[in-house]
Amino acid sequence: MQAELLVRARHLSLTLGKRQILDDISFELSRAEITTIIGPNGAGKTTLTNIVNGLIGNFEGEIERMPGLRIGYLPQKVYVNTLMPLSVERLLQLTYSPTDQELDRALAQTEVAYLKQRQVRSLSEGELKRVLLARTTLGQPDLIVLDEPTAGVDVSGEIRMYQLIGELRDQLQCAVLLVSHDLHLVMSQTDQVLCLNQHLCCSGLPESVSQHPEYLALFGQQASDSIAIYTHHHDHEHDVSGESSGHRHD
Amino acid sequence: MFLVNPRGIGMTEWLDDFVVRAVIAGLIMVAIAAPMGCLMVWQRLAFLSDTLGHAAVMGVGLGLLLQVQPIFGVLAVALLIVFSLSRVTSFNTALSETTLAIISHTGLAGGIILVGLLPAHTVNLEAILFGDLLATTIDDLVTLLVTTVLLLFVLLHNWRSFVAVSVSREIAQAEGIEVRKVQFLMYIMIALLVAVMMKVMGVLLIAAMLVIPTTSARLFSRSPEQMVFISGVYGLGALAGGITGSFQFDWQTGPAIVVSATLLLLLTLGVTRSFKPHLE
Repeated sequence: MQAELLVRARHLSLTLGKRQILDDISFELSRAEITTIIGPNGAGKTTLTNIVNGLIGNFEGEIERMPGLRIGYLPQKVYVNTLMPLSVERLLQLTYSPTDQELDRALAQTEVAYLKQRQVRSLSEGELKRVLLARTTLGQPDLIVLDEPTAGVDVSGEIRMYQLIGELRDQLQCAVLLVSHDLHLVMSQTDQVLCLNQHLCCSGLPESVSQHPEYLALFGQQASDSIAIYTHHHDHEHDVSGESSGHRHD
Repeated sequence: MFLVNPRGIGMTEWLDDFVVRAVIAGLIMVAIAAPMGCLMVWQRLAFLSDTLGHAAVMGVGLGLLLQVQPIFGVLAVALLIVFSLSRVTSFNTALSETTLAIISHTGLAGGIILVGLLPAHTVNLEAILFGDLLATTIDDLVTLLVTTVLLLFVLLHNWRSFVAVSVSREIAQAEGIEVRKVQFLMYIMIALLVAVMMKVMGVLLIAAMLVIPTTSARLFSRSPEQMVFISGVYGLGALAGGITGSFQFDWQTGPAIVVSATLLLLLTLGVTRSFKPHLE
Protein backbone atom coordinates (compact mmCIF):
# COMPACT_ATOMS: atom_id res chain seq x y z
CA MET A 1 0.00 0.00 0.00
CA GLN A 2 1.31 3.44 -0.93
CA ALA A 3 1.64 5.73 2.11
CA GLU A 4 -0.18 9.05 1.94
CA LEU A 5 2.00 11.74 0.41
CA LEU A 6 2.26 14.81 2.67
CA VAL A 7 4.98 16.95 1.11
CA ARG A 8 6.50 16.91 -2.35
CA ALA A 9 9.48 19.18 -2.94
CA ARG A 10 10.84 19.60 -6.44
CA HIS A 11 14.06 21.27 -7.55
CA LEU A 12 14.45 23.46 -4.47
CA SER A 13 17.31 25.94 -4.72
CA LEU A 14 18.25 28.84 -2.51
CA THR A 15 20.97 31.42 -2.99
CA LEU A 16 21.78 34.01 -0.36
CA GLY A 17 23.98 36.73 -1.79
CA LYS A 18 26.60 34.86 -3.74
CA ARG A 19 26.40 31.78 -1.60
CA GLN A 20 24.51 28.79 -2.92
CA ILE A 21 22.80 27.28 0.13
CA LEU A 22 20.69 24.65 -1.60
CA ASP A 23 20.99 23.33 -5.12
CA ASP A 24 18.21 21.44 -6.86
CA ILE A 25 16.81 19.34 -4.03
CA SER A 26 13.86 17.04 -4.62
CA PHE A 27 12.24 14.67 -2.15
CA GLU A 28 8.92 13.48 -0.79
CA LEU A 29 7.62 13.02 2.74
CA SER A 30 4.98 10.38 3.39
CA ARG A 31 2.74 9.67 6.34
CA ALA A 32 4.22 7.47 9.06
CA GLU A 33 7.68 7.62 7.55
CA ILE A 34 10.78 8.96 9.23
CA THR A 35 13.05 10.91 6.93
CA THR A 36 16.47 11.86 8.17
CA ILE A 37 18.58 14.64 6.72
CA ILE A 38 22.27 14.12 7.31
CA GLY A 39 25.18 16.19 6.13
CA PRO A 40 28.20 18.16 7.32
CA ASN A 41 28.01 21.57 8.99
CA GLY A 42 26.79 24.23 6.61
CA ALA A 43 25.21 21.68 4.28
CA GLY A 44 21.88 23.52 4.39
CA LYS A 45 20.04 21.06 6.63
CA THR A 46 18.29 23.62 8.78
CA THR A 47 17.53 25.78 5.76
CA LEU A 48 15.86 22.85 4.08
CA THR A 49 13.68 22.11 7.10
CA ASN A 50 12.73 25.77 7.28
CA ILE A 51 11.52 25.64 3.69
CA VAL A 52 9.39 22.62 4.56
CA ASN A 53 8.05 24.51 7.61
CA GLY A 54 7.21 27.57 5.63
CA LEU A 55 9.63 29.74 7.60
CA ILE A 56 11.66 30.51 4.48
CA GLY A 57 9.81 31.61 1.38
CA ASN A 58 12.33 33.09 -1.05
CA PHE A 59 13.47 29.84 -2.64
CA GLU A 60 13.31 28.59 -6.22
CA GLY A 61 11.56 25.40 -7.17
CA GLU A 62 8.28 24.25 -5.78
CA ILE A 63 6.95 22.62 -2.69
CA GLU A 64 3.50 21.08 -2.43
CA ARG A 65 1.98 20.37 0.95
CA MET A 66 -1.11 18.34 1.63
CA PRO A 67 -3.95 20.85 2.13
CA GLY A 68 -4.38 21.62 5.84
CA LEU A 69 -1.05 20.02 6.74
CA ARG A 70 -0.33 20.53 10.43
CA ILE A 71 3.31 20.76 11.41
CA GLY A 72 4.92 20.43 14.83
CA TYR A 73 8.39 21.93 14.99
CA LEU A 74 11.32 21.53 17.34
CA PRO A 75 13.98 24.06 16.36
CA GLN A 76 17.67 23.27 16.63
CA LYS A 77 18.56 25.99 19.05
CA VAL A 78 15.78 26.61 21.44
CA TYR A 79 16.77 29.41 23.64
CA VAL A 80 14.09 29.05 26.28
CA ASN A 81 14.01 32.14 28.37
CA THR A 82 15.31 31.51 31.88
CA LEU A 83 14.35 34.98 33.05
CA MET A 84 10.67 34.16 32.88
CA PRO A 85 8.95 32.04 35.51
CA LEU A 86 7.18 29.41 33.46
CA SER A 87 5.91 25.94 34.31
CA VAL A 88 6.20 23.05 31.88
CA GLU A 89 2.42 22.96 31.73
CA ARG A 90 2.31 26.60 30.71
CA LEU A 91 5.05 26.10 28.12
CA LEU A 92 2.79 23.58 26.40
CA GLN A 93 -0.07 26.07 26.43
CA LEU A 94 1.85 28.97 24.90
CA THR A 95 0.18 29.03 21.52
CA TYR A 96 -2.22 26.08 21.71
CA SER A 97 -4.98 25.50 24.21
CA PRO A 98 -4.76 21.74 24.74
CA THR A 99 -7.18 19.98 27.06
CA ASP A 100 -5.77 18.53 30.29
CA GLN A 101 -5.98 15.07 28.79
CA GLU A 102 -4.07 16.05 25.65
CA LEU A 103 -1.44 17.75 27.76
CA ASP A 104 -0.97 14.76 30.05
CA ARG A 105 -0.91 12.36 27.11
CA ALA A 106 1.73 14.41 25.31
CA LEU A 107 3.99 14.55 28.36
CA ALA A 108 3.48 10.86 29.09
CA GLN A 109 4.40 9.98 25.53
CA THR A 110 7.87 11.40 25.95
CA GLU A 111 8.13 10.07 29.51
CA VAL A 112 8.15 13.44 31.24
CA ALA A 113 4.71 13.48 32.89
CA TYR A 114 6.45 14.01 36.23
CA LEU A 115 7.81 17.37 35.04
CA LYS A 116 4.40 18.95 34.49
CA GLN A 117 4.51 21.35 37.42
CA ARG A 118 8.24 22.03 37.30
CA GLN A 119 9.68 25.38 36.28
CA VAL A 120 11.20 25.30 32.80
CA ARG A 121 14.37 27.02 34.00
CA SER A 122 15.09 24.14 36.39
CA LEU A 123 15.08 21.48 33.65
CA SER A 124 18.20 19.80 32.34
CA GLU A 125 18.86 20.02 28.62
CA GLY A 126 17.69 16.46 28.08
CA GLU A 127 14.48 17.05 30.03
CA LEU A 128 13.82 20.24 28.11
CA LYS A 129 14.27 18.47 24.78
CA ARG A 130 11.72 15.83 25.79
CA VAL A 131 9.25 18.45 26.96
CA LEU A 132 9.66 20.30 23.67
CA LEU A 133 9.26 17.03 21.79
CA ALA A 134 6.01 16.49 23.69
CA ARG A 135 5.02 20.00 22.65
CA THR A 136 5.39 19.20 18.95
CA THR A 137 2.78 16.44 19.28
CA LEU A 138 0.02 18.82 20.44
CA GLY A 139 -2.56 19.81 17.87
CA GLN A 140 -2.46 16.44 16.04
CA PRO A 141 0.37 17.19 13.66
CA ASP A 142 0.64 15.40 10.32
CA LEU A 143 4.33 16.15 10.20
CA ILE A 144 6.85 16.69 12.98
CA VAL A 145 10.04 18.52 12.06
CA LEU A 146 12.89 17.94 14.50
CA ASP A 147 16.11 19.85 13.96
CA GLU A 148 18.85 17.99 15.83
CA PRO A 149 16.62 16.92 18.68
CA THR A 150 19.45 15.31 20.59
CA ALA A 151 21.97 18.15 20.68
CA GLY A 152 23.11 18.40 24.30
CA VAL A 153 21.73 14.99 25.25
CA ASP A 154 24.06 12.20 26.39
CA VAL A 155 24.50 9.06 24.31
CA SER A 156 22.10 6.78 26.17
CA GLY A 157 19.60 9.63 26.21
CA GLU A 158 20.05 10.00 22.46
CA ILE A 159 19.29 6.36 21.82
CA ARG A 160 16.12 6.60 23.92
CA MET A 161 15.19 9.83 22.18
CA TYR A 162 15.29 8.19 18.77
CA GLN A 163 13.25 5.27 20.09
CA LEU A 164 10.69 7.79 21.39
CA ILE A 165 10.55 9.46 18.00
CA GLY A 166 9.88 6.07 16.43
CA GLU A 167 7.11 5.43 18.96
CA LEU A 168 5.57 8.84 18.32
CA ARG A 169 5.50 8.07 14.63
CA ASP A 170 3.73 4.77 15.31
CA GLN A 171 1.17 6.28 17.68
CA LEU A 172 0.42 9.51 15.86
CA GLN A 173 0.86 8.09 12.36
CA CYS A 174 2.63 11.30 11.42
CA ALA A 175 5.59 11.85 9.14
CA VAL A 176 8.84 12.85 10.82
CA LEU A 177 11.53 14.99 9.25
CA LEU A 178 14.66 14.73 11.32
CA VAL A 179 17.96 16.56 11.08
CA SER A 180 20.80 14.69 12.67
CA HIS A 181 24.52 14.52 13.12
CA ASP A 182 24.28 11.19 14.86
CA LEU A 183 24.37 9.08 11.75
CA HIS A 184 24.85 5.78 13.43
CA LEU A 185 22.25 6.24 16.15
CA VAL A 186 19.52 7.53 13.94
CA MET A 187 19.74 4.96 11.20
CA SER A 188 17.81 2.13 12.81
CA GLN A 189 14.70 4.30 13.08
CA THR A 190 14.88 5.80 9.63
CA ASP A 191 12.88 4.95 6.51
CA GLN A 192 14.53 7.43 4.18
CA VAL A 193 17.85 9.24 4.33
CA LEU A 194 18.62 12.48 2.53
CA CYS A 195 22.35 13.00 2.43
CA LEU A 196 22.81 16.71 1.92
CA ASN A 197 25.76 18.89 1.07
CA GLN A 198 24.16 21.88 -0.66
CA HIS A 199 23.03 19.40 -3.31
CA LEU A 200 21.44 16.07 -2.57
CA CYS A 201 24.41 13.68 -2.59
CA CYS A 202 22.25 10.62 -2.36
CA SER A 203 19.00 9.48 -0.85
CA GLY A 204 17.16 6.29 -0.10
CA LEU A 205 17.20 3.52 2.46
CA PRO A 206 19.86 3.82 5.18
CA GLU A 207 21.74 0.71 4.00
CA SER A 208 21.98 1.89 0.40
CA VAL A 209 22.95 5.45 1.34
CA SER A 210 25.69 4.22 3.61
CA GLN A 211 27.34 2.45 0.65
CA HIS A 212 27.02 5.38 -1.75
CA PRO A 213 30.37 6.82 -2.92
CA GLU A 214 29.35 10.43 -2.19
CA TYR A 215 28.30 9.46 1.31
CA LEU A 216 31.61 7.70 1.87
CA ALA A 217 33.46 10.73 0.57
CA LEU A 218 31.65 12.95 3.06
CA PHE A 219 31.69 10.81 6.14
CA GLY A 220 34.32 8.14 5.53
CA GLN A 221 34.32 4.37 5.68
CA GLN A 222 34.25 4.36 9.46
CA ALA A 223 30.84 6.03 9.63
CA SER A 224 29.56 3.60 7.07
CA ASP A 225 30.80 0.65 9.10
CA SER A 226 29.13 1.93 12.24
CA ILE A 227 25.84 2.21 10.37
CA ALA A 228 26.19 -1.33 9.18
CA ILE A 229 26.65 -2.34 12.79
CA TYR A 230 23.64 -0.36 13.82
CA THR A 231 21.22 -1.51 11.22
CA HIS A 232 21.98 -5.11 12.04
CA HIS A 233 22.69 -5.18 15.77
CA HIS A 234 20.58 -2.60 17.45
CA ASP A 235 21.52 -3.61 20.95
CA HIS A 236 25.28 -3.13 20.68
CA GLU A 237 25.19 0.33 22.16
CA HIS A 238 28.78 0.24 23.31
CA ASP A 239 30.05 0.42 19.73
CA VAL A 240 28.38 3.74 19.30
CA SER A 241 31.49 5.77 18.69
CA GLY A 242 32.40 3.69 15.68
CA GLU A 243 35.99 3.61 16.83
CA SER A 244 38.08 0.48 17.01
CA SER A 245 37.52 -1.67 20.04
CA GLY A 246 39.12 -0.74 23.34
CA HIS A 247 38.42 2.97 22.91
CA ARG A 248 35.33 3.29 24.99
CA HIS A 249 34.74 6.60 26.56
CA ASP A 250 32.00 7.52 28.96
CA MET B 1 -17.48 81.07 38.77
CA PHE B 2 -17.08 78.13 36.44
CA LEU B 3 -15.81 80.12 33.45
CA VAL B 4 -13.24 82.06 35.35
CA ASN B 5 -11.69 79.22 37.29
CA PRO B 6 -12.72 75.76 36.10
CA ARG B 7 -10.28 74.06 38.46
CA GLY B 8 -11.76 75.79 41.45
CA ILE B 9 -14.85 73.62 41.54
CA GLY B 10 -15.50 70.28 43.22
CA MET B 11 -14.26 67.61 40.82
CA THR B 12 -10.67 68.72 40.41
CA GLU B 13 -10.08 70.62 43.61
CA TRP B 14 -8.22 67.76 45.24
CA LEU B 15 -5.84 67.68 42.26
CA ASP B 16 -4.61 71.11 43.26
CA ASP B 17 -2.44 69.49 45.91
CA PHE B 18 0.93 68.76 44.31
CA VAL B 19 1.46 65.73 46.53
CA VAL B 20 -1.81 64.22 45.29
CA ARG B 21 -0.73 64.80 41.71
CA ALA B 22 2.66 63.24 42.41
CA VAL B 23 1.07 60.16 43.98
CA ILE B 24 -1.34 59.71 41.06
CA ALA B 25 1.47 60.10 38.52
CA GLY B 26 3.49 57.54 40.45
CA LEU B 27 0.61 55.06 40.61
CA ILE B 28 -0.04 55.34 36.88
CA MET B 29 3.65 54.80 36.21
CA VAL B 30 3.76 51.68 38.39
CA ALA B 31 0.72 50.25 36.60
CA ILE B 32 2.49 50.38 33.24
CA ALA B 33 6.07 49.83 34.42
CA ALA B 34 5.22 46.41 35.89
CA PRO B 35 4.01 44.63 32.72
CA MET B 36 6.36 46.53 30.39
CA GLY B 37 9.30 45.96 32.73
CA CYS B 38 8.63 42.21 32.83
CA LEU B 39 8.37 41.94 29.06
CA MET B 40 11.56 43.92 28.61
CA VAL B 41 13.47 41.84 31.13
CA TRP B 42 12.20 38.63 29.50
CA GLN B 43 13.23 39.83 26.06
CA ARG B 44 16.46 41.37 27.29
CA LEU B 45 15.41 44.79 26.12
CA ALA B 46 16.10 46.67 29.34
CA PHE B 47 19.19 48.18 27.77
CA LEU B 48 17.04 49.55 24.95
CA SER B 49 14.95 51.57 27.40
CA ASP B 50 18.19 52.90 28.88
CA THR B 51 19.37 53.91 25.42
CA LEU B 52 16.09 55.61 24.56
CA GLY B 53 16.19 57.33 27.93
CA HIS B 54 19.67 58.76 27.37
CA ALA B 55 18.85 59.77 23.83
CA ALA B 56 15.68 61.43 25.15
CA VAL B 57 17.85 64.34 26.33
CA MET B 58 18.39 65.09 22.65
CA GLY B 59 14.62 64.97 22.20
CA VAL B 60 14.09 67.42 25.03
CA GLY B 61 16.65 69.78 23.52
CA LEU B 62 15.08 69.54 20.07
CA GLY B 63 11.61 70.04 21.50
CA LEU B 64 12.68 73.21 23.28
CA LEU B 65 14.59 74.52 20.25
CA LEU B 66 11.58 73.97 18.01
CA GLN B 67 9.31 75.30 20.74
CA VAL B 68 7.10 72.25 21.02
CA GLN B 69 6.39 70.22 24.15
CA PRO B 70 9.60 68.37 25.12
CA ILE B 71 7.66 65.10 25.27
CA PHE B 72 7.04 65.30 21.50
CA GLY B 73 10.73 65.84 20.88
CA VAL B 74 11.48 62.80 23.04
CA LEU B 75 8.89 60.68 21.30
CA ALA B 76 10.19 61.71 17.88
CA VAL B 77 13.78 60.80 18.76
CA ALA B 78 12.74 57.53 20.42
CA LEU B 79 10.62 56.48 17.44
CA LEU B 80 13.40 57.41 15.03
CA ILE B 81 15.78 55.18 16.97
CA VAL B 82 13.46 52.19 17.16
CA PHE B 83 12.58 52.47 13.45
CA SER B 84 16.26 52.47 12.51
CA LEU B 85 17.03 49.64 14.92
CA SER B 86 14.25 47.47 13.54
CA ARG B 87 15.73 48.03 10.07
CA VAL B 88 19.26 46.99 10.95
CA THR B 89 18.53 44.08 13.28
CA SER B 90 17.58 40.76 11.80
CA PHE B 91 15.02 38.40 13.23
CA ASN B 92 17.25 36.28 15.40
CA THR B 93 20.02 38.55 16.52
CA ALA B 94 19.60 40.50 19.70
CA LEU B 95 20.23 44.22 19.62
CA SER B 96 23.94 44.79 19.68
CA GLU B 97 25.26 46.32 22.88
CA THR B 98 27.78 48.34 20.93
CA THR B 99 25.14 49.90 18.70
CA LEU B 100 22.97 50.74 21.68
CA ALA B 101 25.88 52.22 23.64
CA ILE B 102 26.82 54.47 20.71
CA ILE B 103 23.26 55.71 20.26
CA SER B 104 22.78 56.11 23.97
CA HIS B 105 25.82 58.23 24.66
CA THR B 106 25.71 60.21 21.46
CA GLY B 107 22.11 61.08 22.26
CA LEU B 108 22.99 62.14 25.77
CA ALA B 109 26.06 64.14 24.71
CA GLY B 110 24.30 65.83 21.79
CA GLY B 111 21.31 66.55 23.98
CA ILE B 112 23.41 68.20 26.67
CA ILE B 113 25.04 70.43 24.03
CA LEU B 114 21.63 71.35 22.61
CA VAL B 115 20.24 72.13 26.03
CA GLY B 116 23.34 74.23 26.75
CA LEU B 117 22.54 76.40 23.72
CA LEU B 118 19.23 77.38 25.25
CA PRO B 119 18.88 80.24 27.71
CA ALA B 120 19.57 78.83 31.17
CA HIS B 121 16.13 79.58 32.62
CA THR B 122 14.18 77.68 29.95
CA VAL B 123 15.31 74.28 31.01
CA ASN B 124 15.94 72.46 34.26
CA LEU B 125 18.53 69.87 33.28
CA GLU B 126 18.41 68.13 36.63
CA ALA B 127 14.68 67.55 36.34
CA ILE B 128 15.19 66.02 32.90
CA LEU B 129 17.96 63.72 34.07
CA PHE B 130 16.55 62.62 37.41
CA GLY B 131 12.84 63.34 37.31
CA ASP B 132 10.66 65.82 39.05
CA LEU B 133 7.62 63.98 40.32
CA LEU B 134 6.54 66.73 42.71
CA ALA B 135 6.25 69.18 39.80
CA THR B 136 3.69 67.03 37.97
CA THR B 137 1.01 69.19 36.36
CA ILE B 138 -2.53 68.23 35.43
CA ASP B 139 -1.47 68.21 31.78
CA ASP B 140 1.29 65.75 32.65
CA LEU B 141 -1.27 63.55 34.39
CA VAL B 142 -3.54 63.53 31.37
CA THR B 143 -0.67 62.59 29.03
CA LEU B 144 0.48 59.88 31.40
CA LEU B 145 -3.00 58.43 31.82
CA VAL B 146 -3.90 58.41 28.14
CA THR B 147 -0.63 56.76 27.13
CA THR B 148 -0.82 54.21 29.91
CA VAL B 149 -4.38 53.20 29.03
CA LEU B 150 -3.34 52.86 25.40
CA LEU B 151 -0.30 50.75 26.29
CA LEU B 152 -2.28 48.55 28.69
CA PHE B 153 -4.90 47.97 26.02
CA VAL B 154 -2.28 46.87 23.47
CA LEU B 155 -0.60 44.70 26.11
CA LEU B 156 -3.81 42.89 27.05
CA HIS B 157 -4.77 42.45 23.43
CA ASN B 158 -1.42 40.87 22.48
CA TRP B 159 -0.37 39.32 25.77
CA ARG B 160 -0.28 35.74 24.51
CA SER B 161 1.93 36.65 21.56
CA PHE B 162 4.21 38.77 23.72
CA VAL B 163 4.70 35.92 26.17
CA ALA B 164 5.23 33.35 23.41
CA VAL B 165 7.84 35.54 21.68
CA SER B 166 9.55 36.11 25.03
CA VAL B 167 9.78 32.38 25.67
CA SER B 168 11.23 31.48 22.29
CA ARG B 169 11.18 33.40 19.05
CA GLU B 170 11.82 30.27 17.03
CA ILE B 171 8.86 28.39 18.44
CA ALA B 172 6.57 31.40 18.25
CA GLN B 173 7.54 31.98 14.62
CA ALA B 174 7.03 28.34 13.69
CA GLU B 175 3.63 28.33 15.33
CA GLY B 176 2.29 31.20 13.33
CA ILE B 177 3.11 34.27 15.41
CA GLU B 178 4.56 37.06 13.34
CA VAL B 179 7.60 37.62 15.49
CA ARG B 180 8.93 40.63 13.62
CA LYS B 181 5.63 42.46 13.93
CA VAL B 182 5.35 41.67 17.62
CA GLN B 183 8.94 42.82 18.12
CA PHE B 184 8.33 46.07 16.27
CA LEU B 185 5.15 46.74 18.23
CA MET B 186 7.14 46.17 21.38
CA TYR B 187 9.79 48.72 20.31
CA ILE B 188 7.18 51.37 19.63
CA MET B 189 5.59 50.71 23.00
CA ILE B 190 8.97 51.14 24.68
CA ALA B 191 9.46 54.46 22.90
CA LEU B 192 6.09 55.66 24.18
CA LEU B 193 6.82 54.36 27.65
CA VAL B 194 10.14 56.20 27.86
CA ALA B 195 8.59 59.46 26.73
CA VAL B 196 5.98 59.18 29.44
CA MET B 197 8.11 57.88 32.30
CA MET B 198 10.68 60.60 31.76
CA LYS B 199 8.69 63.10 33.82
CA VAL B 200 8.57 60.89 36.87
CA MET B 201 11.86 59.04 36.79
CA GLY B 202 14.17 61.27 34.79
CA VAL B 203 15.74 59.96 31.61
CA LEU B 204 18.71 58.36 33.33
CA LEU B 205 16.68 56.27 35.74
CA ILE B 206 13.83 54.91 33.62
CA ALA B 207 15.47 51.55 33.08
CA ALA B 208 15.98 51.13 36.83
CA MET B 209 12.25 51.33 37.47
CA LEU B 210 11.64 48.74 34.75
CA VAL B 211 14.31 46.32 35.93
CA ILE B 212 14.64 46.44 39.72
CA PRO B 213 11.07 45.67 40.92
CA THR B 214 10.90 43.02 38.18
CA THR B 215 14.05 41.36 39.45
CA SER B 216 12.65 41.23 42.99
CA ALA B 217 9.45 39.67 41.68
CA ARG B 218 11.32 37.08 39.65
CA LEU B 219 12.85 35.63 42.80
CA PHE B 220 9.65 33.89 43.79
CA SER B 221 7.17 34.11 40.91
CA ARG B 222 5.87 30.91 39.36
CA SER B 223 4.13 32.25 36.27
CA PRO B 224 4.53 35.24 33.94
CA GLU B 225 1.36 36.94 35.17
CA GLN B 226 2.30 36.42 38.79
CA MET B 227 5.63 38.09 38.07
CA VAL B 228 3.85 41.12 36.59
CA PHE B 229 1.58 41.39 39.60
CA ILE B 230 4.36 41.06 42.16
CA SER B 231 6.48 43.58 40.20
CA GLY B 232 3.59 45.99 40.60
CA VAL B 233 3.58 45.45 44.35
CA TYR B 234 7.33 46.09 44.51
CA GLY B 235 6.84 49.15 42.31
CA LEU B 236 4.31 50.49 44.79
CA GLY B 237 6.76 49.91 47.63
CA ALA B 238 9.50 51.76 45.78
CA LEU B 239 7.12 54.59 44.95
CA ALA B 240 6.04 54.93 48.59
CA GLY B 241 9.67 55.03 49.68
CA GLY B 242 10.56 57.49 46.93
CA ILE B 243 7.73 59.92 47.61
CA THR B 244 8.33 59.81 51.33
CA GLY B 245 12.04 60.48 50.83
CA SER B 246 11.29 63.20 48.36
CA PHE B 247 8.62 64.93 50.44
CA GLN B 248 10.16 64.52 53.90
CA PHE B 249 13.86 64.88 53.18
CA ASP B 250 13.78 66.78 49.91
CA TRP B 251 15.59 64.00 48.03
CA GLN B 252 15.15 63.98 44.31
CA THR B 253 12.23 61.75 43.45
CA GLY B 254 13.73 59.54 40.75
CA PRO B 255 16.84 58.64 42.74
CA ALA B 256 14.77 58.13 45.92
CA ILE B 257 12.47 55.67 44.09
CA VAL B 258 15.42 53.77 42.64
CA VAL B 259 17.19 53.48 45.99
CA SER B 260 13.96 52.29 47.64
CA ALA B 261 13.49 49.69 44.90
CA THR B 262 17.02 48.40 45.40
CA LEU B 263 16.62 48.25 49.18
CA LEU B 264 13.47 46.15 48.67
CA LEU B 265 15.38 43.89 46.28
CA LEU B 266 18.20 43.37 48.79
CA LEU B 267 15.68 42.66 51.52
CA THR B 268 13.92 40.12 49.30
CA LEU B 269 17.21 38.51 48.35
CA GLY B 270 18.07 38.14 52.03
CA VAL B 271 14.71 36.59 52.85
CA THR B 272 14.57 34.20 49.86
CA ARG B 273 18.16 33.11 50.48
CA SER B 274 17.35 32.13 54.05
CA PHE B 275 14.25 30.19 52.93
CA LYS B 276 15.73 28.81 49.73
CA PRO B 277 15.58 25.12 50.75
CA HIS B 278 11.81 25.37 51.18
CA LEU B 279 11.14 27.12 47.91
CA GLU B 280 12.17 24.56 45.35
